[in-house]
Amino acid sequence: MEEKIKSPMGFILILPALSVLGLLYVFPLIRAIWSSFYDRAGNFTLGNYAKVFELYTRDIVYSVAMTAATVGVVLVISIAIASYLRFRDWKFLDYMYRLPLFIPFLIVGHAMRIFLAPHGTLNALLTRIIGVEELPGISGSWTGLLFSFVWVMTPFATLIILGAFKALEPAYVEAAQNLGASKLRIIFDILIPLSGPSIMVATILTFVRTISSLTIPLMVGPNKPNMITIDMMFRVNYFNDWGVANSLGVISYLIVMVLAIYYLRYMVAERGGIKG
Amino acid sequence: MKRFSIWKLTLKVVVIILILTLMVGPLVGIVLWSFARRWYWPSPIPQEFTLRFWHDVFAQGRVLDSLILSVTVALITVALSLALSLPAAYGFARYKLPIERILLILFLMPQAFPQLPVFINLASIFGRIGLKGNMWGIILAHTMASLVFSLWIITATFKAIPVELEQAAQNLGASRLKVFWTITFPLAVPGLIAGSIFVFLWSMGEFTAAFFIGAPFIQTAPVLMYTASMGYNMQIASVISIILIIPSLLFMILIERYLKAEYISGLGG
Repeated sequence: MEEKIKSPMGFILILPALSVLGLLYVFPLIRAIWSSFYDRAGNFTLGNYAKVFELYTRDIVYSVAMTAATVGVVLVISIAIASYLRFRDWKFLDYMYRLPLFIPFLIVGHAMRIFLAPHGTLNALLTRIIGVEELPGISGSWTGLLFSFVWVMTPFATLIILGAFKALEPAYVEAAQNLGASKLRIIFDILIPLSGPSIMVATILTFVRTISSLTIPLMVGPNKPNMITIDMMFRVNYFNDWGVANSLGVISYLIVMVLAIYYLRYMVAERGGIKG
Repeated sequence: MKRFSIWKLTLKVVVIILILTLMVGPLVGIVLWSFARRWYWPSPIPQEFTLRFWHDVFAQGRVLDSLILSVTVALITVALSLALSLPAAYGFARYKLPIERILLILFLMPQAFPQLPVFINLASIFGRIGLKGNMWGIILAHTMASLVFSLWIITATFKAIPVELEQAAQNLGASRLKVFWTITFPLAVPGLIAGSIFVFLWSMGEFTAAFFIGAPFIQTAPVLMYTASMGYNMQIASVISIILIIPSLLFMILIERYLKAEYISGLGG
């Protein structure tokens, strides 16, 4: 157990970073919530929210459904990859799953537009294998958006889950193996239950990153329905309508609220995710 | 007891081809487009190749300017972000803090909530004080957003350095500041470099803040890439994409031992 220094110096060291965070994060955040309740003339109103529900209810439902679907697929794939790599060391898979990790989302969007277009590189390959003339493209549809989201989100979730699987006491797994448990049983009865909090963190961060992504739906998403991030951007860029944009922002906060609170409580208990 | 099996081998080859198609496939298209003069369906590769667009990107004013702007923004962001998070990380790692829970929550919040509302309101605030359409506006936004993940990378680095080393030096009469510069800091350098590269790459590829705050006067490389891609200028968009991807891929391979998930939760965007 390390002993910590008790001195006001600690707070002074944090003060510059705290000021920047306060001015450039907390202040705009409060302003977003505040101005969602005011109209252009500066009067208090709930009109912005009324407008959001009138215009964007479908988009809100779509965003949540899209995000939930992404999280579901990402979890299945990342648990599968993490389980495989927990038992077998396959360098090829190890590098392949991590490939998208640092590629900017915008670039992924551009790559997916080329890859998934009706006359894109994927269809150029598939039409030759199947031997047909044309295939429909999936860019500009919800399937293309789902594929792109899964592509960028999976490495990150896998990294968290694989880290948890590898950190587990090997004795549990060995004991089960000695008693003749199959790999599948070990995965479902030991690895997954004992990695609960990490899988939860992977779920939360994937959810938040997906629902707040602007660039991927901007590049590959369908025009209708839209993700709410796109609606926010349009509200600001084309209508100069900050009230409605901020109401949408507040709604996106409310959607992630329960998950965010779980995440913050967990991370604070772990002292920023770093034990010690 | 391994037996050679033709079925197993076939299965492995199929799996490898499938993984390559899904993971590398999306990137092949941009590489081909960056060299394409003419590329019409249904040809699997461009009918005519050219180096013109690579040449244009480095010769033409607009694209080169945006790349230089992005590198400048990223370098200053790294410097500011490091200057802020280095002392803060030491504070979190070594001191007992007042209102510690609140501080932790504040510095973790940007990961737990969507960033977009903050960026658009920042753009509106910057609009009033002359920082919109200004390089420094983007730098400030990038510093704030990257502060959070560089802080946690560096805190982890400090925590990994045994306190006993510092205590031993202090028992021999060294001041706290001297202990920091001669013992703690040199040991933390690898973590600081990793953190700096994270911040640099993130800033280079960041679109949302750069788009809202840079408009209408300045365009970073990702913003210009977006404009090019939307205008179906696939070649220029692809060349910029590749320039932005190569450092990311190199870093992914080099950085293996710093790849801890909680550090990079702020990446992407």
